[in-house]
Amino acid sequence: MCEWCGCGQTDSHHDHGHDHSDTSKIIELNKSILEENNKIALTNKEHIEALGAVGINFISSPGSGKTTLLQETIKRLKPDNIKIGVIEGDIETQRDAQRIREQKVPVVQLTTGGACHLDARLVHKGIHQLEHQLEENGLNLLFIENVGNLVCPASFYLGEHKRVVLVSVPEGSDKPAKYPKAFIDADLFIISKIDLLDYFDFSIDEAKQEALKLNPNLDIICLSSVTGEGIDEWISYLKNLLHKN
Amino acid sequence: MHELSLAQALIDQVKALLKDYDAQKVIKVSVEIGPFSGIVVDSFEFSYYALIKEEPQFYGSKLEIITPPAFYQCPFCGRKFKEDELDRDKRCPFCKDSFLTPLGESDILLKTVEME
Repeated sequence: MCEWCGCGQTDSHHDHGHDHSDTSKIIELNKSILEENNKIALTNKEHIEALGAVGINFISSPGSGKTTLLQETIKRLKPDNIKIGVIEGDIETQRDAQRIREQKVPVVQLTTGGACHLDARLVHKGIHQLEHQLEENGLNLLFIENVGNLVCPASFYLGEHKRVVLVSVPEGSDKPAKYPKAFIDADLFIISKIDLLDYFDFSIDEAKQEALKLNPNLDIICLSSVTGEGIDEWISYLKNLLHKN
Repeated sequence: MHELSLAQALIDQVKALLKDYDAQKVIKVSVEIGPFSGIVVDSFEFSYYALIKEEPQFYGSKLEIITPPAFYQCPFCGRKFKEDELDRDKRCPFCKDSFLTPLGESDILLKTVEME
């Protein structure tokens, strides 16, 4: 019997479109294709910890309010002397980094030049670049704003301590059901732009239920960066992470 | 299109294996793509065959993709179903409950490599 395809034919050299030559060998591996990425990600994690910080990977579609929420977050945490650094991932332009730079925090823009996600290797570079901008007193929180995309970034561990996935009200409450991977591996689900709930057919219950089905341990916060509703909860979530550290 | 990056990662991994095992040529690469991996199988396959055009050691190699199905478990009766076994509203056909838990891998695994 041909052991390779299990077809039951006794002649092991019949044609499968591939040869079983005597010199060939089959190696069993069973290991993740992302292993190389994950190895680098773990060194990123150590690097972030050596700087004294907690790393947060922000994932969402384009335009769901990641940068605006970051701007609000920086405003709220700065008076408490919490030191923030930001790594921005975009396909092109420095625009997001510019928005963060205006808040006077260290920021690095990674432009992927077409790639739809950040990977651990890019973030490794980003952390080194950011290091040069840090003052002697180090870093408490490192935000990594991923490329706007709810699909691809979900596959790449960057070395973060917490993964946050954002869905804004205009996008619709079916997003967790449609993009499961982003929610399965997340720690926190933020429903943003809740000031728009009256204008869109968005069901918070549906979004929550669908997300919890995929990941029962998911924390969920609903907020609006415009009205400030829910921002306190988000800020305490972050401060809690720092205490645990 | 993160499938292209993943196919490149696969090729890099197999190239390292060729070296480790002192082999010259890849015959067949077998990978398993989990149902919740968010990876489009056709795009991944397309990426693999596009990339190996630049890799003489991979010329003529075959990519086998195994795609195990997703299962959905009913929290009340504990039964597991494949997607097409659920009722029309995607509920448990026995309890009529819609709060089913999806079960399945979200990783992409390199299972075996045949080389010579």
